[in-house]
Formats: sequence, C-alpha cells, structure tokens
Amino acid sequence: MAMQTSAGGPASANENAVQRFVRAAEIDTRMVGMLVAMLVIWVGFDIISSVLRPGGSGVFGGSFLTSRNLWILLVQTSTIAVMTTGMVLVIVLRQIDLSVGSMLSVVAVATGVLQVFHLGPMLGVGHPVIWIIAVAFALLVGAAIGFFNGVLIAYGQIPSFIVTLGGLIAYSGAAFLIASGVTVAPMDKAFKIIGGNGPLASIGPFWSWVLGAVGCVLIVVATIAGRRRRVRFHFTPKPVWAEFLTAFIACAAVLGTTAIVNSYLWPQRVAERYALENSIPIPPGIEDRNGLAICMAGDKVVNCVDGLSFQTGYPIPVLITLAVGLAMTFIARRTRFGRYVFATGGNPEAAELAGVNTKWLTVKVFTLMGVLVGISSVIASARLDAATTALGTLNELYVIAAAVIGGTSLAGGVGTIFGAIVGALLMQSLQSGMALLNVDSAYTNIVVGAVLVIAVYVDQVYRRRVK
Amino acid sequence: MKIKTLTLLAGAAVVAFAPTAVMAAGKTIAVSWKTFQEERWKTDEAAIKAVVEAAGDSYLSTDAQGSAQKQAADIESLISQKPDVILVVAFDSDAILPSIQKINDAGIKSIAYDVQFEDPSALYITFDNVGVGRIMAQEMLKVKPEGRYAFIKGDKGDPNATFLFQGMMEVLKDSLDGGKITNVCETFTDGWKPDNAQKNMEQCLTSTNNGVDAVLSENDGMASGVVAALDAQGLAGAVPVTGQDGDLAAINRVAIGTQLVSVWKNSVDLGTVAAKAAIELANGADPTTIAGVAKFSGGKNGVEMNSILLAPTPITKDNVQVAIDAGHITKEQACAGVAAGSVAACN
Repeated sequence: MAMQTSAGGPASANENAVQRFVRAAEIDTRMVGMLVAMLVIWVGFDIISSVLRPGGSGVFGGSFLTSRNLWILLVQTSTIAVMTTGMVLVIVLRQIDLSVGSMLSVVAVATGVLQVFHLGPMLGVGHPVIWIIAVAFALLVGAAIGFFNGVLIAYGQIPSFIVTLGGLIAYSGAAFLIASGVTVAPMDKAFKIIGGNGPLASIGPFWSWVLGAVGCVLIVVATIAGRRRRVRFHFTPKPVWAEFLTAFIACAAVLGTTAIVNSYLWPQRVAERYALENSIPIPPGIEDRNGLAICMAGDKVVNCVDGLSFQTGYPIPVLITLAVGLAMTFIARRTRFGRYVFATGGNPEAAELAGVNTKWLTVKVFTLMGVLVGISSVIASARLDAATTALGTLNELYVIAAAVIGGTSLAGGVGTIFGAIVGALLMQSLQSGMALLNVDSAYTNIVVGAVLVIAVYVDQVYRRRVK
Repeated sequence: MKIKTLTLLAGAAVVAFAPTAVMAAGKTIAVSWKTFQEERWKTDEAAIKAVVEAAGDSYLSTDAQGSAQKQAADIESLISQKPDVILVVAFDSDAILPSIQKINDAGIKSIAYDVQFEDPSALYITFDNVGVGRIMAQEMLKVKPEGRYAFIKGDKGDPNATFLFQGMMEVLKDSLDGGKITNVCETFTDGWKPDNAQKNMEQCLTSTNNGVDAVLSENDGMASGVVAALDAQGLAGAVPVTGQDGDLAAINRVAIGTQLVSVWKNSVDLGTVAAKAAIELANGADPTTIAGVAKFSGGKNGVEMNSILLAPTPITKDNVQVAIDAGHITKEQACAGVAAGSVAACN
C-alpha cells in the first residue's frame, strides 16, 4: 500500500551525511517541508504585523505569534480540518465530493430549525437534552445525505463529480427552502459550547496538561509497539537514536501546543463576568490597559498585569478535530476498511478481483464523509451561534485544497490524514494572517489559490526526484 | 444627489389618493417580477395586489425566474394584454432597456421597481441605499460619538457594499478628520458571509488587542458573525454593532442588546407606495406631480429620472414594536431571551 511517503529505502552508495540521516530516521521530508513552510509563514506574518502595528505581544513583536491568535487559528481551522480527513479517503478512492459545502449548509440549517423552532418550544428553551438530540440529528442527516450520494455513485454508476456537483447546487437550494432563507438563531446554550465560545467551551489548564501528558505517553507506547511489530515481521527497525528523536520531537510538539493554548487567558470581560457570577474575589491592583488580567481599582474592574486571570486550555472544537484526526488515522491505517480504501484507490480492478466489494466500500466512504460534514456543521453553526444558508458556501474547495496541499494525490491511492489537517492549518494561517494585516480579501484569494498550485507542483517535482 | 425622503407617506397617501382610486376603477396594473426565489418578493406582491384590488383595478403579473431572456418575453406578453402601467423589477438593468423601449412605444407607462434601469421616461421607486449607510453611521454616532470604529463591509464585487460605505463616510467624515473617531479595521467580506465576517472580526480584535469601540457591519447576516466574535471576548453588548435587512434573528439581537440597530426596508411600504403611484399614472397624472417625486441621477450612466426614494426604518431597542405591528416578526420571536423590563415592546 502506497500510503507511506517516507524516504526509507535501500541505501545507495553515493549519499551524503544529510541524506543518510534522513533515510535512517525515516523522516518524511515532504511533511517536514510543509511544516517549515508554515513556520516561515507564521514568522513572516508576525514580523510584518509588528511593522504595521508595533507593540504586539508576539514572538517578534507582532500580533500573529501570540497565544491568542494561535488559539483562534486552531478553532478557525477545525471546520475544514474535520471534513478534510474524510475527503482524503474520498480522493484516495479516486472519487471527489464537491457537495460538502452545501451539505454543511443543509445540515446546519436543518439542525438549527430543529433546535430553535421545534425542540426549544417543545422541551423548553435550554433543556439539557436539546444539544444531544441536535448533534445526533446533524450526524444522522449528514450520514443520510452521504449515503444517498454514495449509492448514486456506486450503484447508479454516475461519476462522483457529477453526483456531487448536482448535490452542490441542489443541497444549497434545499437549505434555503428549509428555513425559507432566514437566519436561524440563537443556538441552544449547551450546543454553543461545541463552537468554542465562552468560558465553558475550553477544558482549562489542568485537563489540558493531563491530555498533553497522555498524548506523550501514547506517543512513547506507539513508538515501542511499532518497533516490536517491525522486529516481529523481520523488518529492519529504525536506529534507536532515531526512535528517540522522533518520539521526542512529537512529544515536544504536543506539550508545546498545550503550553500555548494554556497561556491564552480568558478575555478580561469574560473573566470579569465569571468572577462576578461565581463570587470570586478580584484582587486590587493598578490599571494597565495592556494587562491581560483583571483587578479592582477602587470600585471599578480594570485591566492589569498582576491580578485575576484564567487559563483557557484546549477548546472543544479543537479537541473534536484531534479526536476525529486520530480516529480517521486509525481507520485509514489499522482497519480492514482503511486498507481496502487504499488498495482500491491504488488499483480498483485488482482490488475488485481480490474480492473487495468496491461498490459497498464507496457507499461507506461517502457515508463517512457525510458524518464528518455533520460534525463540521455542528462546529460551524455553534461557533457562529446561528445557522444560515451562507454557512459552508465554497467550503468544498477549501476542503479539497487542504487535502491536496497535504499530499493527497488526485490520481488516488495516496494520502495521509495528518498531512491534510496540516494542509487545512496552512491555508487558514494564510487567510487569518492576511486578515490580521487588513489585506484586501481579493489578494488573500490570489495567494491561497497560488499556494495550492505551487504545493502540488513542488509535490510532483519531489515525487519524481524520489523515484 | 438631492433626495426627498418619505416616512409616513403610506398613511398620508391613503387619504390623499382615496378619491382618485375610485375614479381609477377598471385600469390594469401589470408587474414583471425578476424572481420569487427570495422570500421578500412575495411580500412586495401581496402589498401591490392589495392596493390595486382595493381600488377596483386588476392586477397582472409574470415571473422571469431569474432570466433576462424570459423577462423580455414576459414583457412582450404583458404589452399585448394592454395594461395601463407596467412595473418592472429588472433582472439585468442593461438588458432590460430594449423591453422598456417597447413599453414606451406601446404608450404604456413604466415604473422601475426596486432595481434601477436608466430610462428617463420611467418612474424609479426604491429605498434610499446610500441612506442606509448614513442611518447606520448616525445611529452609531448617537451612542459612540468618539472612539475606535471597525468597518465590516460586504462583498467587494457588489456595488451596494461601496454605496453603503459612502453613506457612512458622509456622516463620519467630520469626526474622522477631527480625530474623534479612528478607523482601526476595514475589510470586505467575501460573499457577505457571516462566518467570514466572524473571522475578520476575530482578526480585527486580535490585531487591536480588543481596541474596538464600535462596529459598522453592512448587513444583519454579517452582524451575527461580528456579535459571535465579540461574544467570545466577552464584549457582546458592550460594543455596538449595526446591520440592515430586518432579519428576524437581528431584531431579536437588537431587543437583547447585542446589536444596536437593524435598518429595515419594509417591502410592504415599497409595494404600497409603488402601487399607488402606478394607479395615479394610470389615471394620467404627470409623474412630477406625484407626492414624493424628485429627480435622481445617481445611476451608473447618470441618466436623470423621476424617482421616489423611501427612507428605511432603523429598528433599535426603542422601536422594536414597529416591526411587530407591521407583522414582520412575532413578539415571541423578537423577544426570545430578552431580560424582563429591558425593552418596552417585550413587556
């Protein structure tokens, strides 16, 4: 199966020290390249923003590399990131789904109408089961639409491009009809938490560190298990130093991210309201407009440097994205279903002759895509605190672009979930960064489009070189 | 551009036109609609029909279903039925001109309803779009005469986004030049999309470290994204936000206090005024004698036309009742989640 894009291979005589190192450690140079590109973009935005608006708290004095911006960036990425994990499998299977944006819109509006116009009046606004029913409903509707797409493609034998192009047009019409074009708002209070807004929508510093630590332990366990498996199947294991290095870097990344999301403090007014509602005393202090904590100056609550503050930690939508990413990686690499998807994408005829029911497999992949769209629609409408027909428009293009930037080949058979999520983060970084610099959105579109094409070009050149 | 705005024209007109309406019985008023895809056009139609039928005249209509070609054919078939006046909601304001010529040649009077086409013989009836931007800025200045303003503009490809901004700037120019208010963020929003507006507002708040005192959002959909972004920083309600369209959710936000104003263009008013003007024209009135008519030459090619520009209604906390009384929104919808005693209309 061609899902490994790492450079591990037979040693050749005339390679230099760097090549030897890369091969021995089995570093995915493509992935490293993408991460480096992202880092360059981040640093660039921070430096430019420090020139345009000096005095930011970013690493280089700008406002991009601040814990606040990075935290928001992760939340902004989640909708696209969740959907792109499914798009990887769709594209690996040599199919395409152009309808995800319109599907998101129809699911969001239907869920919004259900909770605001039906469940609210029926059970009483704010009833604790509303959000559970709403989420289940969203996943179900998403799955149903995905299933419908899949059946048309697999058993109707209509090209997926056509089925989902039709869906792109038709589902947005359906979304309009469901609510006759009006914006449905506000969402249920508990439902809103899924969007990441408000003090309860993040898990706080303690649980964030617990999660980070668990993540590190899992990385170590996975490294050891992977090594054992290789030995068991008589593969050459990576050198011990390389195992240590990769585990260390992965662990550092997890803990670093945890430190960043924890160092984003609750916005002052949110902290103030929470303190007043829960009778938490606010310490006295001297006003400092740039301070991130709150103090009492006389009988007024003001911003200050040393005072009451709360750490935010991982927001719910980001946790959902992480969970989806892990689950999808597991499905893609460790289950029979996943192996069949890659096998069929690599060579459909061979897979079919080997006994894979490719039609049913296609239906399952599109249904899974639908479920993921359901999850994204919940995040998107919860975050906006409203469901509108406009939600999700053009998302299909960003989802496909993220998968492709992340290394998924439109020829089928090749792609990784992790790469696609990084692709989504890369694109959102460009968009958020340019919005931060107040760049006209016309330029942002040009840059994002160019990056997509350049990323694929670099990928082609790279693949040819590796061969 | 000198504009005479009408506010209570609808009420006054009922009294003024009553005698002529009786005389007008037997006339035919036709409408060529461009589409019924958006909900509002049904409201317009109901208003026009009500006035026309109450006057004892007959109403005739076609739906172009979003096609300039179909609209041309529609108008030909309307002409053949010899109405006295044709109201046209143009799908394409340039492509419609040959059809308007045919209406003129047949000796039928025409009204450009809501969408302008530049033919000097037609009467143009619409809401004052630059005025919407002006009203937003005026309402904002009332509560924030000084401070840091953010501008969330609509789609860069839509001329309305620029008209609205021009209107705002007319009102804010002195304060901006005098340094009383500063422009801290100004972005176009792709497709007028609420989620794009939310992201733009988040980046604006990040880059200014929450240094925003007022947000001029050009419509209600984007206002919902702006309010969500402000809410995440605990600023919803503290930072006033504008909008337009009279979205039901926006009127609810106005009542709750997270949005300052939704400028509402009441389709019922527009339809009523247009139908009354049509009846007058059918009776042979000179367009310049119709109440509220002024010259307008603010179109693409600057053609001077007789026009009636209606003033939209700003809905704020103080007059939510207006939208409820007009049947645009129910009290339950407007007042959902509103703290008792905070809004008069919700008590």
